[in-house]
Amino acid sequence: MVDQLPNLGRESEMLAAMGFSSMDDLFADIPEAVRMNGELPLRGPQSEEEIIADARHILGANVALGDRVSFLGAGLNRNYIPASVFQLITRGEFLTSYTPYQPEVSQGMLQAMWEFQTLISELVGLEVANLSVYDGSTSAAEAITCAVRVHNRKATQKDTVYISELIPPARVSVIQNYTQGGGITIKTLRHNSDGTLNLESLSEASGSCGIYVEQPNPLGILDGGLTRVKEIIGEQTAFIVGVAPVSLGLVEAPGNYGADIVVGEGQALGSPITYGGPLYGIFACTKAYLRQMPGRIVGRSIDVDGKEAFCLTLSTREQHIRRHRATSNICTNETLIALMGAMHMALLGPEGLAKLSRRNMAACQLAKQKLSEITTISLPHAMNCHYNEFVIELPGSAADCIEYLDTQGLIGGYDLSNWYNQRTNWLLVSFSDQTQAAEIELLTAHLAVWSTNMIQGVNA
Amino acid sequence: MSHLFEHNGANGKGYSQPDPIFPTDNLQIPSTLVRDELPKWPRLSEPEMVRHYTWLSNRNFGIDTGFYPLGSCTMKHNPRVNEVIAQLPGIADLHPLQPEHQIQGTLAIFHEMQEMLGICAGMDDVTLQPVAGAQGEFTAIRCFQEYFRSRGETNRTKVIVPDSAHGTNPASASMAGFEIIEIPSQENGRLDLDALRAVVGDDTAAMMITNPSTLGVFEPEIAEAAEIVHAAGGQMYYDGANFNAILGRTSPGIMGFDAVHYNLHKTFSQPHGGGGPGSGPIGVKAHLAEYLPGPIVKRRPILSGDRLTSVNQEWWYHWQEPEKSIGKVQQWHGNSGAVIRSWAFYRRYGKDLKTMSEHAVLNANYLRHRILKEAEEKGVSHLFCDGAPVDVVKHEFTLSLAPMKEQLGVSAMDVAKGLLDKGYMSPTVYFPLIVPECMMVEPTETESKEVLDEFATNFVEVLQEDAEVLHAAPITTDVRRVDEVYAARNLVLSYPFDEDNS
Repeated sequence: MVDQLPNLGRESEMLAAMGFSSMDDLFADIPEAVRMNGELPLRGPQSEEEIIADARHILGANVALGDRVSFLGAGLNRNYIPASVFQLITRGEFLTSYTPYQPEVSQGMLQAMWEFQTLISELVGLEVANLSVYDGSTSAAEAITCAVRVHNRKATQKDTVYISELIPPARVSVIQNYTQGGGITIKTLRHNSDGTLNLESLSEASGSCGIYVEQPNPLGILDGGLTRVKEIIGEQTAFIVGVAPVSLGLVEAPGNYGADIVVGEGQALGSPITYGGPLYGIFACTKAYLRQMPGRIVGRSIDVDGKEAFCLTLSTREQHIRRHRATSNICTNETLIALMGAMHMALLGPEGLAKLSRRNMAACQLAKQKLSEITTISLPHAMNCHYNEFVIELPGSAADCIEYLDTQGLIGGYDLSNWYNQRTNWLLVSFSDQTQAAEIELLTAHLAVWSTNMIQGVNA
Repeated sequence: MSHLFEHNGANGKGYSQPDPIFPTDNLQIPSTLVRDELPKWPRLSEPEMVRHYTWLSNRNFGIDTGFYPLGSCTMKHNPRVNEVIAQLPGIADLHPLQPEHQIQGTLAIFHEMQEMLGICAGMDDVTLQPVAGAQGEFTAIRCFQEYFRSRGETNRTKVIVPDSAHGTNPASASMAGFEIIEIPSQENGRLDLDALRAVVGDDTAAMMITNPSTLGVFEPEIAEAAEIVHAAGGQMYYDGANFNAILGRTSPGIMGFDAVHYNLHKTFSQPHGGGGPGSGPIGVKAHLAEYLPGPIVKRRPILSGDRLTSVNQEWWYHWQEPEKSIGKVQQWHGNSGAVIRSWAFYRRYGKDLKTMSEHAVLNANYLRHRILKEAEEKGVSHLFCDGAPVDVVKHEFTLSLAPMKEQLGVSAMDVAKGLLDKGYMSPTVYFPLIVPECMMVEPTETESKEVLDEFATNFVEVLQEDAEVLHAAPITTDVRRVDEVYAARNLVLSYPFDEDNS
């Protein structure tokens, strides 16, 4: 409420000091024709306790994932964030600071972000990482424009980038919005019927500026074929890989099989899903791409006494210096969420990461084993290794199945016809370190009942 | 100096995890994909980790630490009730693909925010999807672009920005594929209508401008500017970075703008978090609504059969995809965590958001007055001049330290570092680019008269310092002046493990 304004009641005194008599004097420079008169047509102010009471009431209508047994993932999977991360992130010195334009009083966040860059760089096996972009979709989009800036001069397929045909439409839409202005053509790479990348299709991408694929791919498949990509597309085409960062505790770092740029949704490390935002996008690359990277980068330096100090560096790529020739328009990014990521990584350590990765894989494998025992459904990509999610092919529509599971108190997964029109019977189910064996049993039992009823209904 | 990567204790488990729920001796990972070498991450116990980050936080300056007059960034207090609300169940643990009947609470808050933002800016429709101001700019420019394409006006390839604009404006328009025409400001920093008239034409797509300008000055001829651009068939874009100055006093809609972005992390107190997250919703006039990124929250009266989870629910909230939507700019529904915090801030003021803006403007004018008066009394007013010679400013003001640079060889950066020694965050320096040796000061409604008085006194004391003292400043901070050139010439962008071993 306005009584929280520190100068309420002292307006006249302050105005008088300036030789003014009313608040209107301070707005006299706004021409009459463009003034808004009277009160704003909005509700009245509330006290803190009233706001909390309303928030509780309104948000009580939400069903949290934790209130149900949930198998909904599609790239954002349930995770656990250690308590100390939440406690430390509320420290006001972090929470209420901004972009460290004055490094002498911002060493804390600068060092934390330099450490974040190191943690990510080590995780993905590439030399350079920035201190975050908005999310996994914009990091993919920024990687594509970055690849074009680096490779277009020598490319034989100018202004062209290939992306996997499996990339979900919302992510493709972000990519299209970010790339259309630069006249970039997005072509697609085909996949085999088992869900792996078609390496013959890949040869068509040779001579283009880059290719973008994901590991695991959107169907949850860990594709061994990706280790052969770089030799097929060659040095002049950027190999961009989108990763699930926790998987890299078990799965090879893409930098070690030829990736030039690694991007991804950072959420699993440090951030709750929070209805899809704020999250943070990972962006890492080899040195060849450094000067065309988007976003802020912290470098180590020295102060006038020769003491180690940190500051933002390579700013001449950025909008506040380079304006319309900047590598990206990004200014405000996701620093605080990246800091949560750094804290989570610091707590995990290398062995903790490997264990977290194993827990995710174990849940997925147990689910695969249990669900493959149901004879009335099938797992079309069962021969592959999966991380976090896989597809179930149902004897009826996935939308109906999700409806049914909802009535049984389960958030059943994701209807893949939203991504791939013709796949009305494909259900994408997600399992993470938070999945319990009993939950998998429950899903198995309900799916067996539903699918059996479907088949009997159809046959009847 | 403590480094995270120097922690490598043998038993350094930060937290213990349950065991996998299934044996993992045969995970069937393709042999080519098995990771042999784990990342060189540190090994810390929980207390070591807590101390490391507490130590780092002690080496960081936030609004909680002290006065943070960073111009154009609106560094206002972040009420902690917002943080409490953001931690309620049903916020953090929500998935963006959950069905509508499970997220009625979030949709209700989104809807209330869409409505409120529309009213404050005089816009007809709002999307909450863009996650930062720059992304909001980009989104609106994309809407303009598709609007013109649908009308066959593909000739409109140019976006006009004044030379005082934020760097994100030209960067965002350029990313969307537009050519940038920068127009010079008048001597007094104001928009030059003749310069505008000289560049508009049938190739004009839009003009991007913030009002009050980055000089903190209200552009009195803004309606005329809008008329000129509209007459040429272009669209008007309002950069909402300076929105905190005008709520309830005027609006972009009244001024003639077609689209606007809001910085929820500025005007509506989403914490800046050391650089983010932000939130940059946009509002548009009706003719652009069908191009917005979707989906947008709409509501209708409850019908029988609606699956209500709350007893007193009056409306059914649902998603709607705008007909000719440009698609997505972020994969999900934007930074909903920031929207919820900003909702709590909105509820704190309601219609008194107008009073909030008045106090932001009162504080800026008062501080400007106090600095000028104090400088005069102490005989140092010859060392600087107003960035814009006006009677009143809005939420911020600029000072040019060019006279000081010329007379004493002391730069705006030297003065900024001197202010750090006084315990303040420095104002924005060297922006806008059109004011030489610029300092841009924005106190916001957060600060009391006492804080402003004290800052004025300290600011003038810094001006009175010996040149050598200011060249050497800061001396009281964790590190002294950092060599940014050294950082760029000797790139060390991650912890040098090899150096450490040698």
